[in-house]
Order: sequence, then structure tokens, then C-alpha cells
Amino acid sequence: MENIETKLREEAKRLLLEKKADVIIGYEKGTLPLTATPCFITTPEEADKLVWNNLCTQNLAKFVHDLITAHKNSQKRVKPEDRKKKVVGIVARGCTTRSLIIHLQERQYERDEVCIIGVPCDGYVDGKGLKVKIGGADIVEGTIDGGQIKMKTSDGDKTVALKDVLAECCLTCRFNNPIVSDVLIGSPSPAMNPDAEYNAVKEFEAKSMEERWAYFTKEMEKCMRCNACRQTCPSCYCPTCFVEQSQPQWVGIGEDKSDTQVFQLMRMYHMVGRCVDCGSCVSVCPMGVDLRKFLKKIDKDGWEMFGNRAGSSMEDMPPLGRYDEHHDKEEFIFNP
Amino acid sequence: MEKSLIKKDALAGIAKKMAGDFLVWAPVKKEDNVLFEPLQKDGEPFFAYLNSKNAPKNVFFPHTEAMMKFTRTPKGMVFSAEENKADQSVLFGVRPCDAHSFALLDKLFDQEKYKDGYYIAKRQNTTVISIACVQPPYATCFCTSVDGEPVGSEGADILLVDIGSDYLVEFVTPKGEKLAQYFGDAKADAAAETKKNEIAAKAVDAITSKIPAHEVKPILDKNFDNPFWNTIHGKCLACGTCTYFCPTCHCFDISDEVKGSDGVRIRSWDSCMFPMFTKETSGHNPRTSQKERWRQRTMHKFKYYVDNFDAIACVGCGRCVMSCPVNIDIRKVVEDISKL
Repeated sequence: MENIETKLREEAKRLLLEKKADVIIGYEKGTLPLTATPCFITTPEEADKLVWNNLCTQNLAKFVHDLITAHKNSQKRVKPEDRKKKVVGIVARGCTTRSLIIHLQERQYERDEVCIIGVPCDGYVDGKGLKVKIGGADIVEGTIDGGQIKMKTSDGDKTVALKDVLAECCLTCRFNNPIVSDVLIGSPSPAMNPDAEYNAVKEFEAKSMEERWAYFTKEMEKCMRCNACRQTCPSCYCPTCFVEQSQPQWVGIGEDKSDTQVFQLMRMYHMVGRCVDCGSCVSVCPMGVDLRKFLKKIDKDGWEMFGNRAGSSMEDMPPLGRYDEHHDKEEFIFNP
Repeated sequence: MEKSLIKKDALAGIAKKMAGDFLVWAPVKKEDNVLFEPLQKDGEPFFAYLNSKNAPKNVFFPHTEAMMKFTRTPKGMVFSAEENKADQSVLFGVRPCDAHSFALLDKLFDQEKYKDGYYIAKRQNTTVISIACVQPPYATCFCTSVDGEPVGSEGADILLVDIGSDYLVEFVTPKGEKLAQYFGDAKADAAAETKKNEIAAKAVDAITSKIPAHEVKPILDKNFDNPFWNTIHGKCLACGTCTYFCPTCHCFDISDEVKGSDGVRIRSWDSCMFPMFTKETSGHNPRTSQKERWRQRTMHKFKYYVDNFDAIACVGCGRCVMSCPVNIDIRKVVEDISKL
């Protein structure tokens, strides 16, 4: 990974110097042991902060959307001929590029507004899973070396194999290498285990309706409506979420069970053909709600019913956002 | 009142005995999380915890609370005050930082100018039993920087200190003394007291994470418009994790939920991190971006609360530090401000 980090920093510096990007979104070392955190690099000197390792968790595509939208809003009062384009650079692994493709397919910004620095990925550490693995002890120091995580904890020294604490979504990832990129760092990572992708969903589908509902309600009871899942999701970019609309009010803001269930259900429905299984919602959830079980079911349906894998290529349009002139033509559908 | 001694393994038994007589909130392990929840008849309290995932503020200030009900009738609206029900209860086993947070919340909810009946009723009917941190639970704990003590009794009615084979039981308030019967007849001797003092001093030294919390107030007084505020919020997701987990965050929203002709007015937790925070009916929001919201959060804790109540609204539990999905570390924010 060291080698990739060095190349990544060099490329970031070059892109900033050559003015190919105005800002680069990447990861830097966090303040807590065994963490990396999103960072925004605007000068070549800062590029040395960038890291790339198994602790880089979040899908950074969310920030691309945020930055470009904010920039466009700031340009609204500028004469069209004087408007400046902002190019946002991003350190992107496979799932991040899938999210970028979804943004592009949904015409959120143009391809030349984003500069994609593709990096190969061999999975990230599930922080909550790691904590469970070491019996809830507090991690004081930690390093990753040769597939092993070595830690000093409140409960003595501990070592855990990296492969045992990778996030679920990474273990069965089908697209761990960038799908699109302007600059590609390093050589592609070996494939993960996509054949097992739907095993957990199939197991869940085989259960009775009562059992599935019981599992859903149990998981939703953990939710405390902090909105972290929605906020980190690159596909959740509505300017005002239906949860926050008040005229009419669709969902109550309290802790009512049915309100929580409706919030989560509606969010999941909005993910049809748009969830790239990056696992960001799962990793940010402070209460450990098993969102992936349900999102993966939606992903499976998308594949089986429409042959779509969200963001797998520019041509593979989301099933609910696709218009086919020959098959979908109805009088009430028009191409704008 | 004389202090007592109890055997260390007696703790769960005492909590369960109390649960027969009162509503007892105790740390309970639920899957991977330790939460403060009402102890059920067959439930087992989990005292082998570092600290609970959520702050126990929900005991006095629940996430969602009904304030009143109303019904539309042919003769007009009929209003009924929601019964402000508060059972005799015990909050068993909070950490001293969380007990400290109750003393801070009292300053707001139970002040001369304004008395919050909903909060006060629960607070008055609840006895707080805290368990001292002989070892700091987390490397991120910084209570000593914000007027807290790992073996402190601020905000607690009874304090339990692990002195080796026993817990030393200190009855801090008359409310705590009323529960003395549950802790047996063994009285603490001078040796136990000495041991406790030694442990308390060691525990203070064991807190290594420190922030210049007291130094930043005069700096914040003068730096509302400092460009520094542009540097924190960039990666903030605008989720409510930090504020929901914070023992002292107390902002709430009030809304009416109506079904047919019946309605209920509820108050529920709000968060300065939410884009809807302080948004007015007109559509205007005085805090237009996450920058202003982050400034509000920092100012509220380290300046406004000091202005209003002469206390920092942070107890150093480190929950926001550990739970922030993007690792915005309040310790670093405060340190950066101290260098402005």
C-alpha cells in the first residue's frame, strides 16, 4: 500500500499544479488509532497528507456532489459567460466510481467536472466488527501489517487477521477496482468473492414472512433517527428529504416505531438501481442497524428483474431512470 | 452519613432487588451495544462495561415526549395536559461524567427564570447511583479538562468506588441516603477511606487526554467571524450522532402530530448539526450552512453556556469523538481554537 500512497500523493500534486483539479478529496490519517478520515486537498504541499489503506471507509462521492452543487449555487448570480467551472478531484475505489457513474447518469454534473484518481481496493475494516472481535475493548494504538491488525487495547495486546474484520460488502465485492478513471494508480487488486454476494439475502428470503418482519422490526428499533445513513449516502442527495418536508408531513420526527420504519423503508425504495453496496451507511450507523440485508435484497431484485447492477457502467442505466424509445414509448412519456 | 462497604459481586443483586421496588435504569447489553434501559424482571444488568453507548440523559429528557393532547370536537378544540408521569426510579451505574452532565442540565431545565416540569419531575423522582472510573474507560476520556473527576460525585446521589475486593458506598445526598438499606450493614473504616483517596488521585493521573477547555472562552468571545470556522465542517455529514450521544446536548423541537381529529404535541431531540435546525417558517435560516452550525455547537458548549450558567457544557466522556463517522474530534477543535 505504501507504494500506492506515494504514487497517489505524486499524482495529486501534479493534478493540482497543472490545474487539472481545484480540490482533491481523499483520506488522511484520523485522530483515533486505526482510522482514516475524509480530507480536502487544495495545495500541492498538502498532498503529503493523503493516505490509502484498509482504513479508508467512506464513499467520498457524496462530497463530490456536495462541492459541485455548492459551487453551482454560488455561481447562480454570475452572468452565464463569466461562470467558472470547478473541477473536483477524488480518490476513488470501485464502489466510489459506481456512485460517480450514478451521479453522471442522473445528470448531477458533467464528466469534465470530476477528475477521478482510481485506486485499487482490497476491502476496508469494519470498525464496529473489529470492536466486537476484541470484546469491546478500547483500542489505544494499532497498526496494519502483512494482513494482520496489531493493537494495544485496554484489555492487553491483541492481533486480529485483516480478512476476519473486513466489511461484509467488501468480502463479496464485484467491483473492487475503479470502473472509470482519469488517472489510475497501481495495478488492479485481485477479485474478492462476488459469487457469495447474495448468500445472506437468499438465506433471508428463505425465511417465513413473520420471521422476516420480526427481523426488520428488531433492526429498526435500534435506529435513533440520527440520519447518518442518509447523510453519508452518495445516492441520497435530494435538497430536502421527504422526512423533513412539513407540508404535507409524511413522517413524524419522533421515535415512533412506525415513523422510523417508514423512513428506512422509503429510503430503501429510493435505492432501487442506485445502491452501489459501498457499505457507507452501515459503517456510519452508530447503533449497528443491519441496513445491508435489505439493501442487498433490492440490489438482487434489480439484477434478477432488470439485469442492472447499479453504476456498473455508463451504459447500464438505472432501471427506474431508463427510457427506451422502442419499448417504453407511451403518449404520456416524452423525452425532454 | 456513614459510608458502607459492599462485596463487588453483590452489585447486580442490589440492582435487581431495587428493580423489584422501583423502576431501575441500568446498563444492559443489547447485541453489541451497552445501553441504559429499564431493567426487566428477568433482565441482567451489565456492569462489565466501559461506558454506555448512549448518554443516559434520555432518562430525564427522552428522545420523544408527549406534552399535551388535543381533539377537535363540534364545540371547538379540547385540550388535555399530558400526565407528567414520573415513577420513583433509580438510575444505576452511570459514570461520573454522565452524573456530572445532570448537574449541568439542571442549570438549564431547573433555573429560576424557567422551570421545565417534564424534566424536573423525572429528575426529582430518580436517584442517581454512579460508579467511579478507577481506570479511565477510554483513551479518549478527558473529564479532568472540563471540571470532571473520574472519582467525582457531582450530580450523583450515591457514589460507588471500586477499592479492590469491595465497593465503597458513599451517600452523597439525602435522596441517596434513603436507599442505604439496600447496601447492607457493613460500614467502611478509615482504611477504606484512605484507599479510596489514593485510588481517586491515581485515577486523575490516568486521564492522559487533555484539552485547553478553559482557555478558549476569551478567544471565542472575540472570534465569531474568524476564518477558522471555515476549516472544521467540510467533511461533516450533518448527521446527529455527536449531539444525540452527547450527555449535555439538550436542543429540542416541538411539533404537532395529528391523526383525524386527534393530535398530540410532542417534543423531540433536535440537533444543531441538522440542516433544519433553526429553520424558520418563512423558509429563512439564520444558520445557512454547516459552518454556522458547527460554530454554534462549539460556541454553545464552550462560550454561551459559560456566559449563561458559568459552566462548560461538556463532560469529557468522549462519545462524540469515538462515534463521529468522519472523525471530527472536538478535542482537536478546542486545541486549534486555543491557538487562534
